[in-house]
Amino acid sequence: MARYVTRKRNGRFAVSFPPHVMALVTNLAGQLEGLLDDDRPELRRLFPTAYPDDPERDAGFQILARSELNDQRRGHVDRLQATADDDTLTEDDLTSWMLVVNDLRLVLGTALDVSEDDIEIDDDDPRAGGFETYHLLGAVLDEIVRALEGSLGR
Amino acid sequence: MTDSRPTTLDPELDERTDEDRPWIVVVWNDPINLMSYVSFVFQKLFGYSKEKANKLMMDVHLKGRAVVASGTREEAERDAHRLHAHGLWATLEHDE
Repeated sequence: MARYVTRKRNGRFAVSFPPHVMALVTNLAGQLEGLLDDDRPELRRLFPTAYPDDPERDAGFQILARSELNDQRRGHVDRLQATADDDTLTEDDLTSWMLVVNDLRLVLGTALDVSEDDIEIDDDDPRAGGFETYHLLGAVLDEIVRALEGSLGR
Repeated sequence: MTDSRPTTLDPELDERTDEDRPWIVVVWNDPINLMSYVSFVFQKLFGYSKEKANKLMMDVHLKGRAVVASGTREEAERDAHRLHAHGLWATLEHDE
């Protein structure tokens, strides 16, 4: 089966996601970037609790962590958007793509309240479009992970 | 490799505080993260073999949690932060 991301001999990656997939990913990434500073329940998976039994200590951890995580996330979104039309990426570029796509899945999956079982929903369910996007992002992420795994330890 | 712990000449002077006891980093199961992704992140962040990373990933998936790293509180917080930056749900615990 032809892959959408392949590692080249020079250590770079050839990417060939369909244009509509890239348009969707960059669009959602831009939306996410605009939401990062908001206090929205669907963002909770982006800032996990480090000390669940010690709220005071956790608050201290979160103060620093949240702004650092958001700075990193903005950097990855910017990098994705700067390279979205490229057909060859560096490992760092592709890593940014991976992290952004994973963040999008976390937020969308939280908003859709997905469960462990890969549930089938009817086409007329109002969440059908969201689930379609969620599964598409999962396929994109899996492609990227397969390709990056080939670079581990090199 | 070097050992960064200071040498103690007199054990009586080695006042180990509660904070010196190892902290562990626990990754929790969640219904969203892909199994392939979780295994990849363990390999990338901790240099674990694919076999070890898959074992930890399956522990997270089937048992609900796995201890993926340990160290001083500072080290454990750094690892938890790196896991959070990769979207994994990691918490810190003081080893019993």
